[in-house]
Amino acid sequence: MGQKTSNTTSNKAANSSFFSFLKRFSPPKPSSDKTTSPRTGIFAKLTPNKSMDFTRLISNCISFASTRTQEYLVFKDPEGKFLPSSQALTQVFLMTYITQSVNLDYTDTFNCTAMTPEQRILLGADWVWAILEKPTKNPKIQIAVQVLHLPEREEAEEREAEGKPVSESIQMAQMESRNKNAYERMVDFCTSIGKDCYALFLFFGKRDDRENIYGVLSNNFEADVGKLRSNSPDLSWC
Amino acid sequence: MAATQDVKGKGEGGDQNFDYMFKLLIIGNSSVGKTSFLFRYADDAFTSAFVSTVGIDFKVKTVYKNDKRIKLQIWDTAGQERYRTITTAYYRGAMGFILMYDITNEESFGAVQDWSTQIKTYSWDNAQVVLAGNKCDMEEERVVSVDSGRLLAEQLGFEFFETSAKDNINVKQTFERLVDLICDKMSESLDTDPAVTSGAPTAKLTDSAPPLQQPGCNC
Ligand SMILES: Nc1nc2c(ncn2[C@@H]2O[C@H](COP(=O)(O)OP(=O)(O)O)[C@@H](O)[C@H]2O)c(=O)[nH]1
Ligand SMILES: [Mg+2]
Repeated sequence: MGQKTSNTTSNKAANSSFFSFLKRFSPPKPSSDKTTSPRTGIFAKLTPNKSMDFTRLISNCISFASTRTQEYLVFKDPEGKFLPSSQALTQVFLMTYITQSVNLDYTDTFNCTAMTPEQRILLGADWVWAILEKPTKNPKIQIAVQVLHLPEREEAEEREAEGKPVSESIQMAQMESRNKNAYERMVDFCTSIGKDCYALFLFFGKRDDRENIYGVLSNNFEADVGKLRSNSPDLSWC
Repeated sequence: MAATQDVKGKGEGGDQNFDYMFKLLIIGNSSVGKTSFLFRYADDAFTSAFVSTVGIDFKVKTVYKNDKRIKLQIWDTAGQERYRTITTAYYRGAMGFILMYDITNEESFGAVQDWSTQIKTYSWDNAQVVLAGNKCDMEEERVVSVDSGRLLAEQLGFEFFETSAKDNINVKQTFERLVDLICDKMSESLDTDPAVTSGAPTAKLTDSAPPLQQPGCNC
Protein backbone atom coordinates (compact mmCIF):
# COMPACT_ATOMS: atom_id res chain seq x y z
CA MET A 1 0.00 0.00 0.00
CA GLY A 2 2.34 2.63 -1.23
CA GLN A 3 1.31 6.16 -0.77
CA LYS A 4 1.69 8.41 -3.71
CA THR A 5 1.59 12.08 -3.27
CA SER A 6 1.68 14.74 -5.90
CA ASN A 7 2.61 18.23 -5.02
CA THR A 8 2.86 21.35 -7.03
CA THR A 9 4.43 24.66 -6.42
CA SER A 10 3.29 27.58 -8.38
CA ASN A 11 5.71 30.27 -9.36
CA LYS A 12 3.13 32.81 -8.52
CA ALA A 13 2.57 31.60 -5.00
CA ALA A 14 5.79 30.97 -3.17
CA ASN A 15 3.98 29.87 -0.03
CA SER A 16 2.04 27.15 -1.72
CA SER A 17 1.82 23.60 -0.60
CA PHE A 18 4.96 22.14 -2.04
CA PHE A 19 5.82 19.10 -0.01
CA SER A 20 2.46 19.11 1.52
CA PHE A 21 3.22 15.52 2.40
CA LEU A 22 5.41 16.86 5.16
CA LYS A 23 2.61 18.97 6.44
CA ARG A 24 0.04 16.31 5.86
CA PHE A 25 1.54 14.13 8.53
CA SER A 26 1.30 16.72 11.26
CA PRO A 27 -1.60 18.37 13.03
CA PRO A 28 -2.88 21.54 11.42
CA LYS A 29 -2.23 23.66 14.50
CA PRO A 30 0.80 23.61 16.76
CA SER A 31 -0.80 23.05 20.12
CA SER A 32 -4.56 22.90 20.30
CA ASP A 33 -5.78 19.62 18.83
CA LYS A 34 -3.00 17.26 19.81
CA THR A 35 -5.40 14.74 21.24
CA THR A 36 -7.80 14.71 18.34
CA SER A 37 -5.22 14.30 15.63
CA PRO A 38 -2.50 11.88 16.56
CA ARG A 39 0.59 12.23 14.42
CA THR A 40 1.07 9.51 11.93
CA GLY A 41 3.58 8.96 9.18
CA ILE A 42 7.18 9.87 8.87
CA PHE A 43 7.32 12.62 11.42
CA ALA A 44 5.42 10.81 14.14
CA LYS A 45 8.58 9.81 15.93
CA LEU A 46 9.85 13.30 16.53
CA THR A 47 9.64 14.62 20.05
CA PRO A 48 6.00 15.56 20.62
CA ASN A 49 6.31 19.25 21.38
CA LYS A 50 8.82 19.98 18.71
CA SER A 51 7.18 17.96 15.95
CA MET A 52 5.12 20.76 14.53
CA ASP A 53 7.95 23.24 14.65
CA PHE A 54 10.31 20.90 12.86
CA THR A 55 7.77 19.93 10.28
CA ARG A 56 7.17 23.56 9.50
CA LEU A 57 10.85 24.47 9.53
CA ILE A 58 11.76 21.65 7.22
CA SER A 59 8.82 22.32 4.99
CA ASN A 60 9.79 25.97 4.73
CA CYS A 61 13.36 25.13 3.83
CA ILE A 62 12.26 22.75 1.14
CA SER A 63 9.78 25.29 -0.13
CA PHE A 64 12.49 27.91 -0.24
CA ALA A 65 14.86 25.62 -2.10
CA SER A 66 12.24 24.67 -4.65
CA THR A 67 11.25 28.28 -5.24
CA ARG A 68 14.87 29.17 -5.83
CA THR A 69 15.26 26.22 -8.18
CA GLN A 70 12.15 27.21 -10.10
CA GLU A 71 13.71 30.53 -10.92
CA TYR A 72 16.26 28.58 -12.90
CA LEU A 73 13.83 26.02 -14.28
CA VAL A 74 12.11 28.79 -16.22
CA PHE A 75 15.37 30.25 -17.51
CA LYS A 76 15.52 30.50 -21.26
CA ASP A 77 18.57 31.66 -23.15
CA PRO A 78 17.22 34.13 -25.75
CA GLU A 79 19.73 32.73 -28.23
CA GLY A 80 18.70 29.17 -27.42
CA LYS A 81 22.26 27.94 -27.09
CA PHE A 82 22.83 27.78 -23.38
CA LEU A 83 21.01 25.12 -21.37
CA PRO A 84 21.95 24.76 -17.71
CA SER A 85 22.73 21.16 -16.83
CA SER A 86 20.38 19.04 -14.78
CA GLN A 87 23.19 18.56 -12.30
CA ALA A 88 23.42 22.33 -11.85
CA LEU A 89 19.71 22.50 -11.04
CA THR A 90 19.98 19.70 -8.51
CA GLN A 91 22.91 21.52 -6.97
CA VAL A 92 20.99 24.79 -6.72
CA PHE A 93 18.24 22.99 -4.84
CA LEU A 94 20.63 21.23 -2.52
CA MET A 95 22.81 24.27 -1.84
CA THR A 96 19.80 26.38 -1.00
CA TYR A 97 18.29 23.70 1.20
CA ILE A 98 21.51 22.95 3.09
CA THR A 99 22.30 26.62 3.67
CA GLN A 100 18.81 27.17 5.06
CA SER A 101 18.85 24.11 7.28
CA VAL A 102 22.25 24.98 8.69
CA ASN A 103 21.13 28.53 9.38
CA LEU A 104 18.04 27.28 11.17
CA ASP A 105 20.22 24.85 13.09
CA TYR A 106 18.05 21.74 13.01
CA THR A 107 20.49 19.39 11.29
CA ASP A 108 20.99 17.45 14.55
CA THR A 109 17.40 16.32 14.25
CA PHE A 110 16.85 16.23 10.52
CA ASN A 111 19.98 16.00 8.47
CA CYS A 112 20.76 15.94 4.80
CA THR A 113 23.60 13.90 3.34
CA ALA A 114 24.57 14.61 -0.23
CA MET A 115 25.77 11.49 -2.00
CA THR A 116 29.22 11.21 -3.54
CA PRO A 117 29.26 10.84 -7.34
CA GLU A 118 29.91 7.12 -6.89
CA GLN A 119 27.06 6.72 -4.40
CA ARG A 120 24.71 8.55 -6.75
CA ILE A 121 25.30 5.78 -9.25
CA LEU A 122 25.37 2.86 -6.81
CA LEU A 123 22.36 3.84 -4.72
CA GLY A 124 20.46 5.92 -7.26
CA ALA A 125 19.98 8.75 -4.76
CA ASP A 126 21.12 12.36 -5.04
CA TRP A 127 20.81 12.95 -1.34
CA VAL A 128 19.31 11.34 1.75
CA TRP A 129 17.29 13.09 4.42
CA ALA A 130 17.15 11.48 7.84
CA ILE A 131 15.30 12.00 11.08
CA LEU A 132 17.92 11.28 13.71
CA GLU A 133 17.51 9.64 17.08
CA LYS A 134 18.65 12.15 19.65
CA PRO A 135 21.56 10.69 21.62
CA THR A 136 22.96 8.23 19.07
CA LYS A 137 22.29 10.30 15.94
CA ASN A 138 21.25 7.09 14.24
CA PRO A 139 18.70 7.53 11.50
CA LYS A 140 15.17 6.60 12.49
CA ILE A 141 13.42 7.48 9.27
CA GLN A 142 15.14 8.19 5.98
CA ILE A 143 14.05 9.70 2.71
CA ALA A 144 16.29 8.95 -0.25
CA VAL A 145 15.77 11.52 -2.98
CA GLN A 146 16.32 11.15 -6.69
CA VAL A 147 15.80 14.13 -8.96
CA LEU A 148 14.35 13.56 -12.41
CA HIS A 149 14.70 16.16 -15.09
CA LEU A 150 12.89 16.94 -18.28
CA PRO A 151 13.85 14.35 -20.90
CA GLU A 152 15.19 16.92 -23.36
CA ARG A 153 17.51 18.31 -20.73
CA GLU A 154 18.91 14.88 -19.96
CA GLU A 155 19.17 13.95 -23.63
CA ALA A 156 21.06 17.13 -24.44
CA GLU A 157 23.43 16.31 -21.63
CA GLU A 158 23.97 12.76 -22.77
CA ARG A 159 24.85 14.03 -26.22
CA GLU A 160 27.31 16.45 -24.72
CA ALA A 161 28.88 13.87 -22.42
CA GLU A 162 29.55 11.50 -25.30
CA GLY A 163 33.21 11.07 -25.93
CA LYS A 164 34.20 12.98 -22.82
CA PRO A 165 36.49 11.12 -20.44
CA VAL A 166 34.80 9.71 -17.36
CA SER A 167 36.77 9.11 -14.20
CA GLU A 168 37.82 5.62 -13.39
CA SER A 169 35.81 5.27 -10.21
CA ILE A 170 32.69 6.50 -12.01
CA GLN A 171 33.20 3.84 -14.64
CA MET A 172 33.60 1.23 -11.93
CA ALA A 173 30.41 2.38 -10.23
CA GLN A 174 28.62 2.14 -13.58
CA MET A 175 29.96 -1.39 -14.03
CA GLU A 176 28.67 -2.38 -10.60
CA SER A 177 25.25 -0.99 -11.39
CA ARG A 178 24.88 -1.97 -15.02
CA ASN A 179 21.98 -4.39 -14.51
CA LYS A 180 19.57 -1.88 -13.14
CA ASN A 181 18.37 1.59 -13.97
CA ALA A 182 18.59 4.44 -11.50
CA TYR A 183 14.98 4.10 -10.33
CA GLU A 184 15.38 0.43 -9.60
CA ARG A 185 18.63 1.04 -7.79
CA MET A 186 17.06 3.57 -5.50
CA VAL A 187 14.03 1.39 -4.82
CA ASP A 188 16.36 -1.54 -4.10
CA PHE A 189 18.36 0.60 -1.74
CA CYS A 190 15.28 1.77 0.18
CA THR A 191 13.78 -1.70 0.24
CA SER A 192 17.03 -3.15 1.61
CA ILE A 193 16.73 -0.78 4.57
CA GLY A 194 13.05 -1.41 5.20
CA LYS A 195 9.79 0.42 5.62
CA ASP A 196 11.35 3.30 7.51
CA CYS A 197 13.21 4.32 4.38
CA TYR A 198 11.12 6.24 1.88
CA ALA A 199 11.99 6.92 -1.73
CA LEU A 200 11.15 10.36 -3.06
CA PHE A 201 11.30 11.00 -6.78
CA LEU A 202 11.43 14.72 -7.41
CA PHE A 203 10.46 15.86 -10.87
CA PHE A 204 12.02 19.17 -11.87
CA GLY A 205 9.36 20.03 -14.40
CA LYS A 206 7.16 17.73 -16.41
CA ARG A 207 6.17 17.81 -20.03
CA ASP A 208 2.94 19.76 -19.67
CA ASP A 209 4.16 21.85 -16.76
CA ARG A 210 7.81 22.63 -17.19
CA GLU A 211 8.10 25.20 -14.47
CA ASN A 212 6.97 23.30 -11.43
CA ILE A 213 8.42 20.69 -9.17
CA TYR A 214 6.56 17.50 -8.36
CA GLY A 215 7.24 14.74 -5.92
CA VAL A 216 6.23 11.12 -5.53
CA LEU A 217 6.93 9.53 -2.17
CA SER A 218 6.51 5.95 -1.06
CA ASN A 219 8.07 3.28 1.09
CA ASN A 220 6.57 0.63 -1.11
CA PHE A 221 7.75 1.30 -4.65
CA GLU A 222 8.97 -2.26 -4.92
CA ALA A 223 5.33 -3.20 -5.51
CA ASP A 224 5.42 -1.00 -8.61
CA VAL A 225 8.89 -1.82 -9.79
CA GLY A 226 7.64 -2.86 -13.23
CA LYS A 227 6.57 0.70 -13.85
CA LEU A 228 10.08 1.88 -13.09
CA ARG A 229 11.52 -0.26 -15.83
CA SER A 230 10.74 2.09 -18.68
CA ASN A 231 13.56 4.19 -20.02
CA SER A 232 12.09 7.56 -19.36
CA PRO A 233 10.30 8.61 -16.22
CA ASP A 234 6.62 7.88 -16.36
CA LEU A 235 5.47 11.39 -15.87
CA SER A 236 1.85 10.41 -16.07
CA TRP A 237 2.17 9.42 -12.44
CA CYS A 238 1.94 12.98 -11.37
CA MET B 1 21.53 -5.85 -5.63
CA ALA B 2 24.27 -7.00 -7.95
CA ALA B 3 27.55 -6.74 -6.16
CA THR B 4 30.49 -8.15 -8.00
CA GLN B 5 31.99 -8.71 -11.36
CA ASP B 6 35.43 -9.27 -12.67
CA VAL B 7 37.16 -6.24 -14.00
CA LYS B 8 39.90 -7.49 -16.21
CA GLY B 9 42.97 -5.55 -17.06
CA LYS B 10 42.10 -5.48 -20.71
CA GLY B 11 38.40 -5.10 -20.19
CA GLU B 12 36.14 -2.24 -21.07
CA GLY B 13 36.55 1.27 -19.71
CA GLY B 14 38.80 2.86 -17.14
CA ASP B 15 42.52 3.14 -16.88
CA GLN B 16 43.49 -0.19 -18.33
CA ASN B 17 47.08 -0.09 -17.21
CA PHE B 18 46.91 -2.47 -14.32
CA ASP B 19 47.76 -6.10 -13.84
CA TYR B 20 45.44 -7.00 -11.01
CA MET B 21 42.40 -5.61 -9.37
CA PHE B 22 41.63 -6.37 -5.74
CA LYS B 23 38.31 -5.67 -4.15
CA LEU B 24 38.69 -4.80 -0.46
CA LEU B 25 36.09 -3.98 2.18
CA ILE B 26 36.37 -2.04 5.41
CA ILE B 27 33.85 -3.18 8.01
CA GLY B 28 33.19 -2.66 11.71
CA ASN B 29 30.84 -0.77 14.01
CA SER B 30 29.69 2.73 13.22
CA SER B 31 32.13 5.56 14.11
CA VAL B 32 35.22 3.37 14.65
CA GLY B 33 36.92 5.32 11.85
CA LYS B 34 36.40 3.32 8.66
CA THR B 35 35.69 6.31 6.44
CA SER B 36 38.53 8.31 8.00
CA PHE B 37 40.90 5.41 7.48
CA LEU B 38 40.05 5.22 3.79
CA PHE B 39 40.31 8.99 3.40
CA ARG B 40 43.72 8.96 5.01
CA TYR B 41 44.90 6.20 2.72
CA ALA B 42 43.40 7.40 -0.55
CA ASP B 43 43.54 11.19 -0.14
CA ASP B 44 45.95 11.67 2.76
CA ALA B 45 43.36 13.77 4.56
CA PHE B 46 41.58 13.71 7.91
CA THR B 47 38.60 15.56 9.30
CA SER B 48 37.34 15.37 12.85
CA ALA B 49 33.71 15.93 11.85
CA PHE B 50 31.67 12.73 11.93
CA VAL B 51 29.52 12.21 8.88
CA SER B 52 27.80 8.87 9.11
CA THR B 53 28.21 6.92 5.87
CA VAL B 54 25.02 6.17 3.97
CA GLY B 55 25.01 2.55 2.79
CA ILE B 56 28.23 2.04 0.87
CA ASP B 57 30.81 3.96 -1.09
CA PHE B 58 34.22 3.23 -2.56
CA LYS B 59 37.51 4.70 -3.62
CA VAL B 60 40.14 3.50 -6.02
CA LYS B 61 43.87 3.45 -5.39
CA THR B 62 46.71 1.94 -7.39
CA VAL B 63 49.70 0.33 -5.67
CA TYR B 64 52.82 -1.30 -7.06
CA LYS B 65 54.24 -4.63 -6.04
CA ASN B 66 57.06 -6.46 -7.84
CA ASP B 67 56.63 -4.27 -10.92
CA LYS B 68 52.97 -5.12 -11.03
CA ARG B 69 50.29 -2.48 -10.88
CA ILE B 70 47.53 -3.46 -8.51
CA LYS B 71 44.32 -1.53 -8.57
CA LEU B 72 42.55 -1.50 -5.23
CA GLN B 73 38.81 -0.96 -5.21
CA ILE B 74 38.22 -0.18 -1.56
CA TRP B 75 34.65 -0.31 -0.29
CA ASP B 76 33.66 1.76 2.70
CA THR B 77 30.60 0.35 4.44
CA ALA B 78 28.14 1.82 6.92
CA GLY B 79 28.34 0.01 10.26
CA GLN B 80 24.73 0.38 11.28
CA GLU B 81 22.41 -2.58 11.35
CA ARG B 82 19.91 -0.94 9.00
CA TYR B 83 22.42 -1.17 6.16
CA ARG B 84 23.30 -4.81 6.77
CA THR B 85 21.45 -6.13 3.71
CA ILE B 86 23.07 -3.72 1.31
CA THR B 87 26.58 -3.97 2.76
CA THR B 88 26.68 -7.77 2.94
CA ALA B 89 25.67 -7.86 -0.73
CA TYR B 90 29.10 -6.39 -1.43
CA TYR B 91 31.02 -8.98 0.61
CA ARG B 92 30.83 -11.40 -2.23
CA GLY B 93 33.89 -11.28 -4.44
CA ALA B 94 35.90 -9.30 -1.88
CA MET B 95 39.44 -10.61 -1.61
CA GLY B 96 40.32 -8.82 1.58
CA PHE B 97 38.72 -7.21 4.61
CA ILE B 98 39.89 -4.66 7.11
CA LEU B 99 37.84 -5.38 10.23
CA MET B 100 38.04 -2.32 12.42
CA TYR B 101 37.27 -1.52 16.02
CA ASP B 102 37.97 1.56 18.14
CA ILE B 103 40.44 1.06 21.02
CA THR B 104 38.45 3.60 23.06
CA ASN B 105 35.18 1.76 22.57
CA GLU B 106 34.67 -1.61 24.25
CA GLU B 107 31.44 -2.31 22.40
CA SER B 108 33.14 -2.02 19.02
CA PHE B 109 35.75 -4.55 20.17
CA GLY B 110 33.05 -6.87 21.47
CA ALA B 111 31.42 -6.78 18.03
CA VAL B 112 34.53 -8.05 16.24
CA GLN B 113 33.43 -11.67 16.65
CA ASP B 114 30.09 -10.91 15.00
CA TRP B 115 31.74 -9.08 12.11
CA SER B 116 34.03 -12.05 11.65
CA THR B 117 31.01 -14.32 11.44
CA GLN B 118 29.52 -12.00 8.82
CA ILE B 119 32.67 -12.39 6.73
CA LYS B 120 32.49 -16.17 7.01
CA THR B 121 28.82 -16.16 6.09
CA TYR B 122 28.86 -13.82 3.13
CA SER B 123 32.30 -13.89 1.60
CA TRP B 124 34.62 -16.15 -0.23
CA ASP B 125 36.48 -18.70 1.95
CA ASN B 126 39.88 -17.47 0.89
CA ALA B 127 39.25 -13.83 1.74
CA GLN B 128 42.06 -12.38 3.84
CA VAL B 129 41.36 -10.33 6.94
CA VAL B 130 43.36 -7.78 8.90
CA LEU B 131 42.06 -6.69 12.29
CA ALA B 132 42.69 -2.99 12.96
CA GLY B 133 42.38 -1.34 16.37
CA ASN B 134 41.91 2.27 15.31
CA LYS B 135 42.30 5.59 17.19
CA CYS B 136 45.55 4.47 18.85
CA ASP B 137 46.45 8.15 19.13
CA MET B 138 43.92 8.38 21.99
CA GLU B 139 46.06 6.55 24.53
CA GLU B 140 44.43 8.29 27.54
CA GLU B 141 41.02 6.98 26.57
CA ARG B 142 42.11 3.47 25.69
CA VAL B 143 39.85 0.70 27.01
CA VAL B 144 41.06 -2.17 24.83
CA SER B 145 44.67 -3.22 25.45
CA VAL B 146 47.05 -4.00 22.63
CA ASP B 147 47.38 -7.52 23.99
CA SER B 148 43.68 -8.29 23.96
CA GLY B 149 43.53 -7.02 20.38
CA ARG B 150 46.45 -9.19 19.35
CA LEU B 151 45.05 -12.23 21.18
CA LEU B 152 41.67 -11.94 19.51
CA ALA B 153 43.32 -11.58 16.11
CA GLU B 154 45.30 -14.75 16.78
CA GLN B 155 42.19 -16.65 17.80
CA LEU B 156 40.38 -15.56 14.67
CA GLY B 157 43.39 -16.20 12.45
CA PHE B 158 43.72 -12.56 11.37
CA GLU B 159 46.71 -10.26 11.11
CA PHE B 160 46.67 -7.36 13.53
CA PHE B 161 47.60 -3.66 13.61
CA GLU B 162 46.81 -0.78 15.89
CA THR B 163 46.20 2.25 13.72
CA SER B 164 45.37 5.92 13.70
CA ALA B 165 43.68 7.59 10.78
CA LYS B 166 44.19 10.88 12.57
CA ASP B 167 47.96 10.64 13.09
CA ASN B 168 48.53 8.43 10.07
CA ILE B 169 49.86 5.45 12.01
CA ASN B 170 49.94 2.05 10.29
CA VAL B 171 47.39 3.07 7.68
CA LYS B 172 49.54 2.32 4.66
CA GLN B 173 51.01 -0.72 6.42
CA THR B 174 47.57 -2.22 7.01
CA PHE B 175 46.67 -2.00 3.34
CA GLU B 176 50.09 -3.22 2.22
CA ARG B 177 49.90 -6.21 4.53
CA LEU B 178 46.45 -7.07 3.25
CA VAL B 179 47.67 -6.84 -0.35
CA ASP B 180 50.63 -9.10 0.51
CA LEU B 181 48.34 -11.65 2.11
CA ILE B 182 46.11 -11.68 -0.96
CA CYS B 183 49.10 -12.05 -3.27
CA ASP B 184 50.43 -14.94 -1.17
CA LYS B 185 47.05 -16.61 -1.25
CA MET B 186 46.87 -16.19 -5.00
CA SER B 187 50.26 -17.74 -5.69
CA GLU B 188 49.35 -20.54 -3.30
CA SER B 189 46.26 -21.41 -5.29
CA LEU B 190 48.23 -21.08 -8.52
CA ASP B 191 50.76 -23.61 -7.20
CA THR B 192 48.08 -26.10 -6.35
CA ASP B 193 46.30 -25.68 -9.66
CA PRO B 194 48.82 -25.94 -12.50
CA ALA B 195 46.16 -25.54 -15.17
CA VAL B 196 45.69 -21.98 -14.07
CA THR B 197 49.28 -20.94 -14.73
CA SER B 198 48.83 -21.18 -18.47
CA GLY B 199 46.56 -18.16 -18.57
CA ALA B 200 47.40 -14.48 -18.80
CA PRO B 201 48.10 -12.73 -15.49
CA THR B 202 44.69 -11.16 -15.36
CA ALA B 203 43.03 -14.45 -16.15
CA LYS B 204 44.89 -16.07 -13.30
CA LEU B 205 43.44 -13.59 -10.94
CA THR B 206 39.90 -14.27 -11.93
CA ASP B 207 40.44 -18.00 -12.09
CA SER B 208 41.64 -18.08 -8.53
CA ALA B 209 38.82 -15.84 -7.39
CA PRO B 210 35.44 -17.16 -6.29
CA PRO B 211 32.90 -18.12 -8.92
CA LEU B 212 31.82 -14.79 -10.24
CA GLN B 213 28.26 -13.75 -10.13
CA GLN B 214 26.73 -13.27 -13.52
CA PRO B 215 24.56 -10.26 -14.15
CA GLY B 216 21.25 -11.47 -12.83
CA CYS B 217 18.23 -10.24 -14.63
CA ASN B 218 19.17 -9.72 -18.28
CA CYS B 219 18.78 -13.33 -19.23
N1 LIG C 1 41.32 10.53 17.49
C1 LIG C 1 40.95 9.88 16.40
N2 LIG C 1 39.73 10.07 15.89
C2 LIG C 1 39.38 9.37 14.78
C3 LIG C 1 40.27 8.46 14.15
N3 LIG C 1 39.63 7.93 13.08
C4 LIG C 1 38.42 8.49 13.05
N4 LIG C 1 38.24 9.36 14.04
C5 LIG C 1 37.04 10.15 14.35
O1 LIG C 1 36.00 9.26 14.70
C6 LIG C 1 34.74 9.69 14.18
C7 LIG C 1 34.14 8.61 13.31
O2 LIG C 1 34.96 8.39 12.18
P1 LIG C 1 34.40 7.79 10.82
O3 LIG C 1 35.58 7.60 9.94
O4 LIG C 1 33.29 8.58 10.28
O5 LIG C 1 33.84 6.37 11.34
P2 LIG C 1 33.02 5.24 10.53
O6 LIG C 1 31.61 5.37 10.96
O7 LIG C 1 33.61 3.94 11.00
O8 LIG C 1 33.22 5.49 9.09
C8 LIG C 1 35.04 10.98 13.40
O9 LIG C 1 34.73 12.07 14.24
C9 LIG C 1 36.52 10.91 13.12
O10 LIG C 1 37.10 12.17 13.04
C10 LIG C 1 41.58 8.29 14.72
O11 LIG C 1 42.41 7.53 14.25
N5 LIG C 1 41.85 9.02 15.85
MG1 LIG D 1 31.74 5.83 7.65
